[in-house]
Amino acid sequence: MNYQTAERRRALAGDYAIGLMPPTARKRFEQLLLDDPHLRAELAQWDTHLASLAEPLSAQPVPEHVWQAIVSRIEPQKLHVPARRPFWTWLRTGVVICSLLIAVTVGLLYTRDNVQYKATLLSGTEQPGLRIEAHTDYLQVQPLQLAALDAGRSLELWAIPVDGKPVSLGLIPTGGDGMIGLSKSQQQLLGPHVVLAVSLEPKGGSTTGQPSGPVLYQGPLAAL
Amino acid sequence: MNGITLYAQLISTDNWHGAIPSHVGRTGILTANTENLRQLLAQCSLGNRRAFETLYRSVAPSLHSVALRCMGRRDLAEEVVQESFVRIWHNASRYEAHLSAPLTWMINITRNLAIDQLRKHRELPLSDLQQNAVADDTPGADEQLDSARSSRALSHCLEQLDGMQRQTITIAYFHGFSASELATQLAAPLGTVKSSIRRGMERLRRCLES
Repeated sequence: MNYQTAERRRALAGDYAIGLMPPTARKRFEQLLLDDPHLRAELAQWDTHLASLAEPLSAQPVPEHVWQAIVSRIEPQKLHVPARRPFWTWLRTGVVICSLLIAVTVGLLYTRDNVQYKATLLSGTEQPGLRIEAHTDYLQVQPLQLAALDAGRSLELWAIPVDGKPVSLGLIPTGGDGMIGLSKSQQQLLGPHVVLAVSLEPKGGSTTGQPSGPVLYQGPLAAL
Repeated sequence: MNGITLYAQLISTDNWHGAIPSHVGRTGILTANTENLRQLLAQCSLGNRRAFETLYRSVAPSLHSVALRCMGRRDLAEEVVQESFVRIWHNASRYEAHLSAPLTWMINITRNLAIDQLRKHRELPLSDLQQNAVADDTPGADEQLDSARSSRALSHCLEQLDGMQRQTITIAYFHGFSASELATQLAAPLGTVKSSIRRGMERLRRCLES
C-alpha cells in the first residue's frame, strides 16, 4: 500500500481510527505508527475529532468496587500477597512446629523408655519372686512368684547401696504388677552394685524409714 | 447467548441519551481541565499513586459513560473501565501530550477495549434472533445522534452529514462494527458503506477544523 501522499496517509489514518481496516492491515498500520511520528499525529487528529462523538454523553458514576479492583491489580504485592500469605505462613509454621514436637516427644519417650537396669529378686529359697526393670524415672515391677499377702500388710522395695543404709523406693503395687515412680534422689541411687530388697511391712509401709519386717526377696541391679 | 442480551441491552441503553439537556451548552464529558489531567498523567508515569487516584476520581465517570455507550450493559462497562485504568496506569508514559488531549487519549483506550470485547462476543455466528436485534438497532442510531447534538459545534457538523453517514460513523465508533458488518446490517453494498463512512468522516473533520 502506498503511504507516501499526504492525502493517502490521512485517509488510512481515518480508516484505522474508525475501525474500517481488516486485522492484517491494522497490524501493518500499527507497525508504521511506531516509527512514524507524523502518522501518529495524523491519527491523533482523527481520534480527537471522533472523540467529540462522546461529548454529549453524560458522566456516569462508577461503583466503588471498580476502584478497589483496579487498586488490587496495580498493587498486587500489597493487596493479594498479604491476604494469602499469613494463612500459608501459619500453616507451614504450624506443620513444622507439630512435626518438631512429635519428633521430640517420640525421641524423649524412646530414650526415657530405655531400660537402664534390671534385677530379678529371689526369695530365701532362691526362687525368683519379682522382676524389676529400672527406667529413667520409674520402675516396672512384674511378679514372678509372689507370696500371698495378708490384708494388713504391704511389700516395700528398698535400694541398698554398697555401703549404706537401705533407702525406700516405695511400695510394691498390690498383686506385684505395676509401676513405682522415682524421685530425683531415688533415680540417683540406682546404679550397678546396688541391691534391691523387698521387705514385709505393715499396711502403707515402714514407719521408721528403715525396713521393719523380714526381707522376702532381694537381688542386685544389673546394668544392660 | 451472550450476544443476544448484549444487543438487546445495546438498544435499550441508547435511550438514556434522551436525558441529556439539549441546550445547556458544553457541559459534556470532554470539558475536563486538560492541563490538570496532563499533569496527573505525567505523575502517573512516575508511579505516583495519589495522582492516579485523583485522575481516576476525575475521569472515571466520563470513561464509564463511554464504556456504557459501547457495551450497553453496566457489568460489562464496569469491567471495561477497570481494564482501562489498569492500562492507563501502566501506559501513562506513552501518552504524547503534543498529539492529543489527555481525555481523548483515555477515551480511546476505553473505546478500543470495549470494541475488543464486543468483537469477541460477535465472533460467535449470528443467529436469526441476533440478526434481527442488530437490524433493529439501526433506526435507533439516528435518534442517538439527534440527542448527541448538545455540543453546538458537533451538532452543526453532524448536520452536514447525511443519515447514512451519521449512522455508520456512530455505530462503527461506539460498537466497532466493521464495514462488512455494517453492510450486512444496513443491507447496503460494502463499497457504498465504506465510501459513506470515509466521506462522512472527512466532512466531519473539515467542519470541526474550520
